[in-house]
Amino acid sequence: MKRIWQMMSALCLSLLLCGQVWAQHDGPYVGVYLGMNSLVTAESRDDQGSFNLEYDPALQGSVVLGWDFKPRNSVGEGRVEVEYARRSNQLNEAEFLEGKVKGDGNLTVDSLLLSSYGVYRTPSRWTPYFGVGLGAARITADALQVSGQPLANDDAIVFAYQLGVGVDFALTSYLSLDLGYRFFNTTRPRLTEANGSKFHTEYLSNSAILGLRMGF
Amino acid sequence: MKNLFWGGIVLLAALAGCGSNESPTRPNDFTPLTSIEIVVKPPAIAQGTSTPLQALGNFSGLFTRDITAQVVWASSTQTIADFILPANRVKGINPGTATVTATMGTITASHVLTVTDASVTAMDIAPLAPSTPKGLPQQFAVFGKFSSATTTKTTQDLTFDANWASSDPAVASISNAVGSNGLAHALALGTTTITATFGTVSDSTQMKVIDPVLQSIAVMPTNLSLLTLSTGSFAATGRYSDGSTQDITSQVTWTSDPAIATIAGGVVSNLVQGTTSIGATLAGFSGSATLKVTGGNLTSIALTPANPTLVSGTSMPVTATGSFSNNTTRDITGKVTWSVDSNIATVDTSGGGNLALLNAKTVAVAQVPTTLSASVGTTVTPGKNNLTVTAPTLKSNSLKITPIAPFNQNLAVGTSGRFKVTGDFSDGTTTTTQDLTINADWTSSDGATATVGNVGLAKGRVTGIAAASVTITATYGGQAIPATVTVTQPTLKESTLGLTISPPSANFSAGTQLQFKATANYTNNSSYDVTEDVVWTISNSNVAILADSTNQPGLVVAVDSGTATLTAAFGGLTQTATLTVP
Repeated sequence: MKRIWQMMSALCLSLLLCGQVWAQHDGPYVGVYLGMNSLVTAESRDDQGSFNLEYDPALQGSVVLGWDFKPRNSVGEGRVEVEYARRSNQLNEAEFLEGKVKGDGNLTVDSLLLSSYGVYRTPSRWTPYFGVGLGAARITADALQVSGQPLANDDAIVFAYQLGVGVDFALTSYLSLDLGYRFFNTTRPRLTEANGSKFHTEYLSNSAILGLRMGF
Repeated sequence: MKNLFWGGIVLLAALAGCGSNESPTRPNDFTPLTSIEIVVKPPAIAQGTSTPLQALGNFSGLFTRDITAQVVWASSTQTIADFILPANRVKGINPGTATVTATMGTITASHVLTVTDASVTAMDIAPLAPSTPKGLPQQFAVFGKFSSATTTKTTQDLTFDANWASSDPAVASISNAVGSNGLAHALALGTTTITATFGTVSDSTQMKVIDPVLQSIAVMPTNLSLLTLSTGSFAATGRYSDGSTQDITSQVTWTSDPAIATIAGGVVSNLVQGTTSIGATLAGFSGSATLKVTGGNLTSIALTPANPTLVSGTSMPVTATGSFSNNTTRDITGKVTWSVDSNIATVDTSGGGNLALLNAKTVAVAQVPTTLSASVGTTVTPGKNNLTVTAPTLKSNSLKITPIAPFNQNLAVGTSGRFKVTGDFSDGTTTTTQDLTINADWTSSDGATATVGNVGLAKGRVTGIAAASVTITATYGGQAIPATVTVTQPTLKESTLGLTISPPSANFSAGTQLQFKATANYTNNSSYDVTEDVVWTISNSNVAILADSTNQPGLVVAVDSGTATLTAAFGGLTQTATLTVP
């Protein structure tokens, strides 16, 4: 992991030295992203009260298929894309009335979002952007355990949205590097506990991502 | 585009910090129970007595929890020790030892309980001679001293096992029910004897029930909106331990933000626009309400009519209009302090509300103006006018009587209209005309047909009583002037057609005033202005109020944001208008 970050940092530093105006791509593109995500402590609630679930940070990956708008077109500066992403985080601890206990199992989220990004054109290769995406997510509690005892093994489909900010660096007219941040949130999934009762939990993720987009 | 972009960045930064982190309330029933500890106090009990047991669960060594209510209790030898209600209470039946167990799932804990043959020798009840306010509970406890030939002296809590009695249950009752043993309730003033008995031994104490004590204070209204320059009242109600309530407005200590309002005896005054909490405190208890002052702060005062001239011995109404910091104006005649040279004139405010009558004294005075002023406090410049009092002579046959529109000398029964009367005065060179309505003497030739007001602002107002014609006469300075009024008795149209309000609704800002007009419509297609004849009411005084229901019928002042209903009632009909204050 450390080696990957070192390579990415070196690549970014070299790109900082580039400054000439670059022709903007327009038309279809595909992209692939890799990043780290961290979940906010998830406040959960069932008919006995509330409890908190804390997850470990984890890798996430996504692929996108989109369309770059032609610069200065009537729709606006930016792009639209469909993004499939997958995040899977291991349950680290669960906090109840009596205190924290060890957790286990994974919470996995597969999301499909339609996103729109507005860009801020600069004379250089660097293009900052900001965007929002809406869609659905399937949240899977994969053998979640508390103190070695089963908590939940269930899934639910919920509404999801994402806000993103970042900067593109044009490697060529058709190839660009994307360094960004994503705020991902869903409505509260309702999952079934091992004893049959239901609980709601929250899902809120902060992610740092690095991706490569290729136009054609 | 740039602003939108950076706005998005800020939004994202804010959202990144989202997420709740409340303290958990759910017990952990996932972690397995690994052991149970039975807690017994005392370690041995005398036969015939009982004691509660406690079960503490150890969950995988991670935490402990009281599981007394979750375990199943059992005794190995029920002839020695057996469980009674509530489920965790064990009673000694006969001397000996028994093993008591607490079981939850597959985990069981046991304890060997000793039942002794000791017998009670004395009892001590506590507390001794308590004084309890009426309506409150009083928990008693009793401890027994035990001994026998084979055991040492011990003391044991017998509150659960003793039988409780009150010598006068009307003064205080006492419970023998499981879970509330020894709990007395003070019911009436007086004294009763509380006795606890166990076997053949007992102990007693006096319980005195005293006056109920304050439990809470409620301040009403909980939310009050008032205009600046006005006053309002709050009331404090105390709730006592016996459930009774009492008006304690005069007993509490009132507090407010003095920058917004001062309060004494529940009455707020010296209002400045803003919001303050109103507090009422007594005997360690407090209640609160919210006061919102609206309508802007007074910035200036203007008087009308401007620089009046009055004939000696005559009168006229004067009005003070305030301008406020929220760019509104309203009639504040009744809120100002009037001053004028008392040798020349007086201002009579005895009519109340926004009525002030300027009376020129019956003295021969030069035509030198004097100052008429109206002030509010010391921070706002008083409104000032020049008043000139003259002493001319009333010319002969100069009185004129005129109906004030829309009155046309025709009335329906129950409606009213106004006349005014004027006279011409001369000082030998100049003739001036003076309104004498307030100074004239008004009479009706037939009070059964129509009456005419002859006091204050009611002077000249004719009200139809029965269908016929009548002569109204105004007399002043030895001269009389008559006018004929015809009264008819048409039938009001039914339902909402018979009475209309104009405007039918209003949207006006706090501090502004609006005049509403009511019209009665009859089946013969005649209509009469009945603004002065209807009864006006407003559903919510926090939204709007009537400026002066006596002297200014239909004049409404907006107070605070909200919606209220203005209602006019006349001849058995009602009509409403919606008042909206943004």
